[in-house]
This record gives sequence, structure tokens and C-alpha cells, in this order.
Amino acid sequence: MFTQESTQATASKLIQAVPSALDEFRCPACSQVFATYDELRRHFDTVHPATIAPVTVALNLNGKNCEVLVEPHWTLKRTLQFRLGLTGAKHMCDKGVCGSCTVIVDGRAVLACTTLVLECEGKQIQTVEGIAADPKWKPLVDAYCKWDAMQCGYCTPGFLVSAKALLDKNPNPTEQECREALAGNICICGTYPRHSTAIVEAALKIAEGG
Amino acid sequence: MADIVGVNGQREEFKVVGKHNLPGKVSYALATGVAKFGADYVIPNMLHAKFLRSPYANAYVRSVDLSKAQALPGVVDIVTWEDEAIKALKPAMFGPVRPWLDNYADQEGIEVAVIVVAESEEICDEALRLLEIDWEILPHVVDIRKGKEDNAPIIRPEDKIFGGGMFSAPPAKPRQGNVTYAETVQGDVDTAMAEAENVLEYELMLPAFSSHLPNPPGSVAWWQPNPYLGEGQILHFEGAVQRREQIGMMHGMTPDRTVQEGIFQGGKYCDWGMRRSQEITPLLAKRTGRPVRCVNTREDTFDFLMNQRYMYMKIGFTNEGLITAIDDFSVADGGIEGSSSFGAANDQGYGPYYTMKCLNIRQWMEIVDSNRGKMYLSGQHCPFNWDSGTMAIYLVAEKLGKDPIDIAQLNLHGPDSQEDDRPVPSFEACLDAGRKLMNWNHHPAGMKKMPDGRYHGASFRYQICPRHAFSGYNCKLELRNGVVHMPTQGPVTGIFAVECNAMVVAEELGLTYDDVVVDFDYREPFTPVGGGSDGSTASAWAMKECANLLKKQILEWAIEDAENPPPAGFGGPPPGGPSPLKGYKPEDLDMIDGRVVLKNDHSVGLPLHQATNRHIIATYHGRPPAAIWSLGMGKMLDTMNTAYCEVAVDPDTGEVEVLRFGVVADPGKVLRPTSLESQIDQVMFFSQGCQLLEDFVYDERTGVRLNNNMIDYKKPTMLDVAPVERQFLETRAGNAAYGASGISHSLANTHMVVIAIHNAIGVWVDPPATPDKILKALGKA
Repeated sequence: MFTQESTQATASKLIQAVPSALDEFRCPACSQVFATYDELRRHFDTVHPATIAPVTVALNLNGKNCEVLVEPHWTLKRTLQFRLGLTGAKHMCDKGVCGSCTVIVDGRAVLACTTLVLECEGKQIQTVEGIAADPKWKPLVDAYCKWDAMQCGYCTPGFLVSAKALLDKNPNPTEQECREALAGNICICGTYPRHSTAIVEAALKIAEGG
Repeated sequence: MADIVGVNGQREEFKVVGKHNLPGKVSYALATGVAKFGADYVIPNMLHAKFLRSPYANAYVRSVDLSKAQALPGVVDIVTWEDEAIKALKPAMFGPVRPWLDNYADQEGIEVAVIVVAESEEICDEALRLLEIDWEILPHVVDIRKGKEDNAPIIRPEDKIFGGGMFSAPPAKPRQGNVTYAETVQGDVDTAMAEAENVLEYELMLPAFSSHLPNPPGSVAWWQPNPYLGEGQILHFEGAVQRREQIGMMHGMTPDRTVQEGIFQGGKYCDWGMRRSQEITPLLAKRTGRPVRCVNTREDTFDFLMNQRYMYMKIGFTNEGLITAIDDFSVADGGIEGSSSFGAANDQGYGPYYTMKCLNIRQWMEIVDSNRGKMYLSGQHCPFNWDSGTMAIYLVAEKLGKDPIDIAQLNLHGPDSQEDDRPVPSFEACLDAGRKLMNWNHHPAGMKKMPDGRYHGASFRYQICPRHAFSGYNCKLELRNGVVHMPTQGPVTGIFAVECNAMVVAEELGLTYDDVVVDFDYREPFTPVGGGSDGSTASAWAMKECANLLKKQILEWAIEDAENPPPAGFGGPPPGGPSPLKGYKPEDLDMIDGRVVLKNDHSVGLPLHQATNRHIIATYHGRPPAAIWSLGMGKMLDTMNTAYCEVAVDPDTGEVEVLRFGVVADPGKVLRPTSLESQIDQVMFFSQGCQLLEDFVYDERTGVRLNNNMIDYKKPTMLDVAPVERQFLETRAGNAAYGASGISHSLANTHMVVIAIHNAIGVWVDPPATPDKILKALGKA
């Protein structure tokens, strides 16, 4: 059963499972595994001299410091899914126009599919899992579920992150302000009218202390 | 057929069914990102696969040199159409009818000839670039009107695809060039047209638009031992929800050795086809001995939800507005090989005219092979939704200076047959409510200017509420430790069908919605999906029967346990002494508010978990009684819906604003209002998108589709869509649970917005009605 409590717990576990430090260094070109980054670099220099070597990046993800090994062109979206086990940011357009991969970086809603992970080093990244794990945002998640602000549900995490980013800046938005803030999120299923209803109700509950 | 409590039941009071704001059973997983879709799965040590995709609209791969690609570090496997393992593959369903993968590309961007498996997607891409391919480039057709000309290149001389499919007519005359002909005729159209007091002709263009599945199709597969099943490996794959058994069979696996635990299917919108990326990974994982992931890009995922179609209509009608002859000639895109023929001719029982009294109808269709793209099955805009009939009603009204609603009433046949003159009660009730909802006051085209200088237009359409009476449902309910469980494989598609079933179970068993535990298990046979939202109402009928079978057993065991309670410590007797149900019979009991109680004194009873702690299982297999609509194939009418649209058109900028949609519908009985409302919003927004924004654009010279990305192919945003005002009537006249009907996709429409635009400015603009087209139509550009 997927309840509020169980999904909050799952989100917390996913965040905890993000490795804080790398314990292996896998070559992206041939999958050979090395114990240190230096060994991997030497392997690259000798075996794959024409290929750009991967790099390590230090991130602060949902309040947790972590380190990932990525190729320099990797996006934040791809890093979250393929290195950090977080799949709440969804792949839809891959062009920065649908909002399904929205995350919050240093307080701003950004599109993870068009953000290089290298740009995120040293910045505070919050994903939908971080919002789901934080009891403060339970009213927002509750309202989304109560109002069916989802149908197939694929784009929903992106909407929820945009909604949270809005509430961070404007704790008492009007319905029109909600629509404007979420206009960059595309839903094919037709849930549009439900989001502002859910956000406005959640804002009231949050203001009342949840 | 069992009918334990009747088609409509005797129930008048509802405590759960019809209630708003009950969260979906998996909504928390969806909202929080915990739900995993096929594209989300990442398995340790996983490889990636990519198909070669054709840069040409019509071409053969005559040979391919793999050597450079094979030498690329990180490439693990390359498979071609000539491999025996590929030749042996058969599609799971709705797939290509040619070999599963061959050396012929009949569309730019289609998978062809080669699959690369590598350590990363980038290495796959690089390996594909290193292939040395000998292409034979053939002429192509992406303009179907040119494709039907005598001198057009014949792109598929051997095509045997069209003509035998579901809802299509047999060829009306031998195939010629790229064209297959289909014709259905009722009555004597030529005589009726000659005798008609009025005749009008019009053209109607239906653009193709994209199915646009939100989650890109794809799968991940791996093989693993299972000691409980003896020797050999089992197949585990994710990403093809509801197709576990079929894909297992593609790869020689029995259902018990095929695992797919995921339940989240994403959006489907009646696009039920599997993509090759969802079918190939088990083979690649077996060849490489490692998990393999293959997922389409967004650019790979622009298949048709409706094919392009040009319609040329001629209508004969009386001075009162009664349509007496319909001559419907259309040229339709046959798409690439294997495209669905759903929506082809022979739709008089299923298409736009079946509600009309008119007895003289000819539909002549020329289906043109093309290299434009593929439609996998039906689409939201299946034949129900073509607005050629709506256009006819509007135009007749315009010509005669009458209200289109009056013309619709005049032309709609009665409940029992095409010759039945009586009004359809559900339709009349929808119209009465609709006129009030919309303050309906029809005006002639181009005659109403708003205070801000824009022109006002309004339109109206009607449709039946179709529903599935064809699918059977294997239902199971369990009472376990005093709790009712509803096991199901799901899937979760967005129509909240599982929830509708759980609500019906709760209603019948006197429980709350939260009391019914839904156990998602891929091995369970029950799926509420057999059709779309109309499938949810039909499955809920079967589940209602199952709930009553469970209830009967619960009451029998409650009496048995009251009379012969198990020893203390083994489940009984209940605290407080002997059961208050002792001395009664099962027929004296009922289940109300979570308790088993006396029918004639609800204060006497026990909570369900105390009344019996037996493990009770009830099963039911069946389907609702046949829908009246399906008995008459459209010539019999009961539950109806009506939709309305108001627009404002700026004559200076060409901008169209949809001011509001209105929907007054009779779904028979509303099961889950929150999601019913959302489904209706969805089809309205779909319709707004396809009439104002969406179309495929091709480079005719190369056959390349230019806008298969979400920047250039526009979908409506939250700021684009109009408010939808909805009102539901409940006549209980449907065939599903409590007299419910399916409804939503019957409200999808191809021309309601465009008709409103005509009503505003007095000229036709083909969809998508973009500002440049509006200005051109007004002679301003």
C-alpha cells in the first residue's frame, strides 16, 4: 500500500541510500572497476586516450553531501537517475520545455534535463524525494492526492516541485499565481485545473501549522 | 449470466460511490516520485541498447558493415535483421506485421536493421554513426493528396495490410497505386440527394496529432535463476505493464517464469501498441548475460493518435432541417505498414452518423499508403469523435437561420432504432441543462461582437456514452484477518479504474473506501482495464457481483461462527460473551458501517473482524449485460452527453481565446466524480490542442518530419486551457455498475472549437486554427 506514511518513509530511505562517498570508480567506456579515481584516470590515459575522462562532483542533495562520478556532459537529471537512485525527476521532453524533471537548486526551480551536473557543485539541490521526506510539506502532498492533481502521474513530481518552489517564495498564492508558476509544466492528461486548487488549500494548511 | 443485484442494482443510497476527494490508492506514490515507470529502472551492471533509425522516409538497408562499430570500446553486442534470433521474433501485440525488424524503413526515424548494445547510450550513438550502411533510397509520400495521384510513386506495391482490420470495410474495388478503397452505403443516396430541398457541400480537414505518451516507452530486462522453479532462468523485465505474458511468450517464457512487478503504466490515451524498445530487451539481455535497458527518446515517441484525413461532404436536407442524404468522401492517411485501420470506412455503426435519422448515407474512403507515421490502435479521436456530423448540423442551422441544437434534436433518432421518432430522454435532459449552463443564445455567424472588439462564437455537439460490454473480468475478493482485500494486477493508467472498483466493493460491503485494501500483484488476473474509463464502469459491475458473493459468504460464516464459535484463543468467541448474531439466519443479516448487523435492528451486530475471522475468498468471472449501444451498433441510444464551446476571436491579431467549455453529460451513475471530471477536462484539453496548436510538419522534399519535439510540437499549457464547466445527470440507464456508463473519450472532438470560430468570424479555418490561418481566412494575410 502506498500511504502518506509509507511513501514519506520510502523517500527518506532513498535519500539515505545516496552514497556520501564513492567506494568504486567504474570506467564508463568499458565498465572496468577501480579502487581510486587516480587509477581510473591512469586507465583512461592508457586505454581510452581519445575519450574525455569522467570527473567527480560533490553535491549537496536533499541536505546530504554526496559525491558522484560522471562524464562532464552529464545532466543533473541523468545523474540523479543513473548515479544516485532518485527517479522522481522524470524524463519527458529532454529539451527543457515540459517541467517533468523540475528540481530546486539554491531556491530556484530549474530543469534537471538541461542543467549540467557540474554546474550544481556546491549548490543546494532539492528533489521531489526531499520534499516528500520533509513533514513540513505533507499538506502539499496530501492536497495533491486529495484533489487528484494527477492522472497517469508521470509528470506529477515535476508539478509538485514547482508548487513547492512557488510556496517557498509566495506562501499565500492566488490561483492565477499558481497557474503562472506552473505554466512551464506540461500535463498531457488534463489535470491543469486541479493544481491551483491543491496548492491554495495546502498553503492554508501550512500557514495553520500543517 | 449472474446478476446478483441487477444491472442497476436496487441501491438508492450511496455512502462511498459518488464521493469526491478520495485519494487514489497509489496517488502518494505518484505525487512523491516513488512510483517507478519503465524508463526509471536502473539495474546494476546494466547495458544500454539503441536501434539504428532511418534518416530517410523510405529506404532499404542493402548492406551494413559492422566492423568499425564492433571495434569501438564499450560496444558489447550488435544484432542485425539477418540474425536468426531476430528473425524468430514475433510481436507481442499490435506490432508490425512484417518481420519484427528488417532492412526496410518506411518512415524517417523508424527502427531498422541494426541494434547496438553498449556500456552507455553515448557509445551506442557513436557505434551507430560508425556503421557503414549501403542505403537504397526510395521515393516517398508524405502528402496524401499527392500520394493518390496517378503519377505518384508506388511506395508499397505488396501491401496487403489494409482492409482486413477491425472496423474497416473490405476493399470496395481493387487497390490502385497507393490507394485502397472502402465504401459503405445505406439507402439510395443519389436519389435522396436529387430529391433534397436543399443541398450543401463542405470540406473538413482533420490533422494528424500525436499520441504523446508522457513516459517514453522502453524497458529493462534481465535473467536470473529461481531455485523454486528448478533449472533454468526466469525473465524479469520492467516497462511493458499489462504485456507481461505476451512479452514473456515472445522470448519463449511461460507466465510463471516471467516477472514484471511494475504497475505504473503512464498515459496511454487509447494507444495500446508496444514499441520495439519494450519488446527487445529480454533477447539482448540473454545474449549479453547482463541487464539491458532500451528506452525511446522523446523524438522517437511521436506516433499518431489520429491519422490525417480530408473529408468532402455533401448533405441533402429539408427546409425544416432534416438531413435526408449524406455523401461522405474522404481521403485518409493509411500510414506506414502495420498502422491501425481503426477509423476507416464501415463506421456507420460506430462513426459520426449513427445517431442520425438519415437513411441514405454513403461513405467512400480512399486510404493512401504513406511514409508519414504510424497509428498504433485507436486514439482518443476514434470514429466516435469525428465531427463531420456536428459540422453538418451546424451548417444546416446556419443555412436555415436556426439554432443548431434544434437541428440536432430534429435529426437525432429515438432510443430504439433509426426509425424511432421519440426523443432520447437522456439527450433532452442534457440539452435542457446545457442551455442553462451556457446561457445558450445562438447567433448567426459573424454577428456578435464583444465590447473589446473581438468576435464571439459558440458551438455545440452531442455524442453517446459508449461503454464496453465486450471484455470479461476475473474478479477476486478476500476477507483476511477481518480485512477485505482486492487483489489486482492494476495497472495504474490514470483513469482511477482500480479505485472505482474499490469504491463499489466498499459500498456493497458496508465499508469505508479506506477499509478496502488493494493488493497490487502482477500475478493476479484481475485488471479493471478493458477499454478506457468505460472499462472501469464495466469492470465495476463485475466487481459488484463479486462483492455480493463475498458478502453472502461472510454472512453465512458469521452465523456459523455465532452458532459454533471456535475455541477461545482460536478466533472466538468474541469478547463480551456469545455472539449477538446467535439464533439468526444469514438472510437476517446485513453489512453496514463496518459491522455485521441485523437487518431489522442495526444496533445488534458485531464489527466485521469480530463477526468472523475466517479466510474467505470470492471469485467472479463475467461482464455486464450487453450495452444497448452495442446491441444496435449505434442505432440504439440511451445515455448521452452534450458539449459546448465559446470562443473570442481577435480579427486584428487572429488570436483565438477559448472562453469556456461546457459539458452536460449523463454518465448513468457517477462512480468517482473527481476522476470523471479530470477525464472530461483531459478530452477537452486534447481537443483544444489539436484544433488550435497541434499538427505534424514534414519537409516534403526529404520526407523528414520537422517537429517531433516538444519545442516545435506545441501542447497546451496551464495558461492556454479554458475553464471546463461540467454538470452530470444520473439516469442510471447505462449497463455497468449501478447503471453507469463510460463517457470521457466520447467527448473528445475534432471540430467543436473550429465550429465556434466559424460562428465568430463566418469563415472556415482548418485545424489547427493558428493566428496566421485566421488572418488568412479573414483576408488579412
